[in-house]
Amino acid sequence: MTIQTDSEGSEKKHLHRSADFANKHVLEIGCGEGRLTWQYAKETRSTIAIDLDADALRVATIDRPSDLERKVYFSLAKSEQIPFPKEIFDIAILAWSF
Amino acid sequence: MVHALREIQRVLIHNGILIDLRPVLDRWPIEVVSARGVRGTGYIQDLPPGLADDEAANRSMAQAEQNEWFIRETEDFFPFIYSWDTPSEMEEWIEEEWEDFIELDEETKQATRSAWASADADARVQVKVKMLITRWKVAKES
Repeated sequence: MTIQTDSEGSEKKHLHRSADFANKHVLEIGCGEGRLTWQYAKETRSTIAIDLDADALRVATIDRPSDLERKVYFSLAKSEQIPFPKEIFDIAILAWSF
Repeated sequence: MVHALREIQRVLIHNGILIDLRPVLDRWPIEVVSARGVRGTGYIQDLPPGLADDEAANRSMAQAEQNEWFIRETEDFFPFIYSWDTPSEMEEWIEEEWEDFIELDEETKQATRSAWASADADARVQVKVKMLITRWKVAKES
């Protein structure tokens, strides 16, 4: 099956209109396979992306571009219990899946 | 979901930003697209579980705002296009991936197949998913 998504780049455009990611510490909740992560992570200082789906996180880790290996991390965690201390992220993205 | 929003507020710095990005059901349009133009063929049917999910998400965000965890700053809608080579691929995707919250009626399936069959060879089928993006600012320290 040949499926294309967001060929017009609307999501990336609106995401960047909503926040300046440059040099920011970002938390993404519900990252899945990292489709959205790749739209902004390059500009961040660090990105932690969490999800409850271990298989999806495995795909995301495999797909992670080599230039992002040192600043994008994927973690198996649930949003109701985020395993980080308080007040360490500048931006959080709540990416609802569909 | 409200617990998750409380957790998000906890890990964000004071004046940190939460971006809420999600699809919302609203009878997403279906189109056949080719170099010659765009032809609408119908709309997705929203199912009660999907609508209930949207309402639950809205309620959670409203609760977080009421609790003064976040202040709503901006809100916008935009289309996120899913596109397939053929109508049958679209139908397969909807049945496998989106069956819990939307469906396609027979009339729309037929109209889409017919429009695609009579279109140019480059024709594709697309669904315009309605996306909501909201920017929230942390309202007070955790």
